[in-house]
Amino acid sequence: MKILLGAWFTLPRLGTASFSSLMKQGVEYDRALGFKMGAGTDVGAALRTLRSALGEDVELNLRCVVCGVEACPGCSYSSFCDRSKVSPICLCAEHSSGIDAFEVYQKTFAATMVG
Amino acid sequence: MWVEKYRPKKIEEMIGNEDCRNVACLWLKKWKPGGKAMLLMGPPGTGKTTLATLLAKQFGMNIVELNASDTRTKDKLDKKIGEAIRTVNLFGERSLIFLDEVDGLLGRSDYGGVEFIKEAVKLTQNPIIMAANDQDADEIKKLGSVCVALTFKPPPPREVEVYLRRIARLEKAEVSDEDIVAFVTSAGGDLRHAINSLQSGNTIASGGFKDKSSAVGDAFEAFFDSADPAAALVALRSVSLPPIEKVRELYRCLVRSSLPPEKLSDALEVLSRADMLMGKIMKNQEWRLLRYLDNLLAQELLPIIRGQNVRYATDDLPFSTLLRIWNDSKKVKEISLRYARRSHTSGSGARSQDLPFLFSLCGAKGFREQLEKTLDLDETFEKFLQKEAGR
Repeated sequence: MKILLGAWFTLPRLGTASFSSLMKQGVEYDRALGFKMGAGTDVGAALRTLRSALGEDVELNLRCVVCGVEACPGCSYSSFCDRSKVSPICLCAEHSSGIDAFEVYQKTFAATMVG
Repeated sequence: MWVEKYRPKKIEEMIGNEDCRNVACLWLKKWKPGGKAMLLMGPPGTGKTTLATLLAKQFGMNIVELNASDTRTKDKLDKKIGEAIRTVNLFGERSLIFLDEVDGLLGRSDYGGVEFIKEAVKLTQNPIIMAANDQDADEIKKLGSVCVALTFKPPPPREVEVYLRRIARLEKAEVSDEDIVAFVTSAGGDLRHAINSLQSGNTIASGGFKDKSSAVGDAFEAFFDSADPAAALVALRSVSLPPIEKVRELYRCLVRSSLPPEKLSDALEVLSRADMLMGKIMKNQEWRLLRYLDNLLAQELLPIIRGQNVRYATDDLPFSTLLRIWNDSKKVKEISLRYARRSHTSGSGARSQDLPFLFSLCGAKGFREQLEKTLDLDETFEKFLQKEAGR
């Protein structure tokens, strides 16, 4: 199973114990949208809960801050980057390669910023 | 220092932890008396302190900052920030209270610091932000449950790479893709480490890439010629060397200068304090203290060496001097070993504690001959001991 950090995803029924654990670990839940791992989630613990409840490997993917797609495919740091331990938003190959990549990143973040 | 030069001036100039930054902005925008405090948790170098400082700046608030691991007792905390927590200024403007490293405080409940924080969080008239490195400590978890808790994580490597490429571009440094990847991977998510690596790599001219912006020697010369500490500070900041190398270079210049002994002693005392500051920074990873290094050198070292014709020394010691040091150190080692055997002490102890006194006593009549006889020293030591006695 693949999970995009910061995006909603659906799960099959896991049972009360696993659901309760996920809530304690800061996974957000919305009846209509499903589950989401956000800023307050203990990603490492939630990942262990999911692996144990689903009985399969769960692959995490970081989201591109600019376009919102999966940022990890083709990343040269994929073997080095522990996705459960880094902050959940990244830049995809396209948006990290331009000469003005940082300025684009900055503008995108500023547009979403509160205050 | 590129770390200082490229320190974010706005929240949007930071990288990583985008969600946390947004939540923190929203929290401060909506905060009212009686609202929850904020707890920022995460490893060093992930931007907790920077975010707190920039939040205050961006929302036009004064920041009252306290390192909680330095002030631990309830009375002292109350004296330092009690008023700031309970009151607003005459115009009704609020301050942002920032308690850094609260995990250092929570370890000692007997000091009353924990009680103070719990009360402060309830009674405050101003928003409080706390920062902690150790998010797994039980007390931090308890504190987190009554606060808006945000976990800071290292930025992903690709974001670090983008940031480094931007700095390299602005500094007009030619850096290969392999070098950038090496800096990113060796930093392990610590942005300060990555920037320092980029800067120090940039100053190594051989084979790699060269710094075009400033020459180290020119910057040091500008420091020595500075008329006042402000100019000295500017000169020091333009030295493209890692901070510890900066201290070492200054040491090298000072010991080769012709400063009078008392001036040299004062100057080395200042350098010693700078070195201790660097030791503390490296040991505890307290990189925020780095901002004091250049200030310390500019404010305290410059007045001692100003007008004393201290120059930047590029060459190594002359070979004759090096040879003498080498030969003398061999003799010192031999004497200290023989003395240690006689006095049942260690060689290093003899070298550091006893030999200076023995050498100075060699000026007394008959002492040197007695020492040579006791330690069974041959005639090659005679000249050496005479010279040491005459120092």
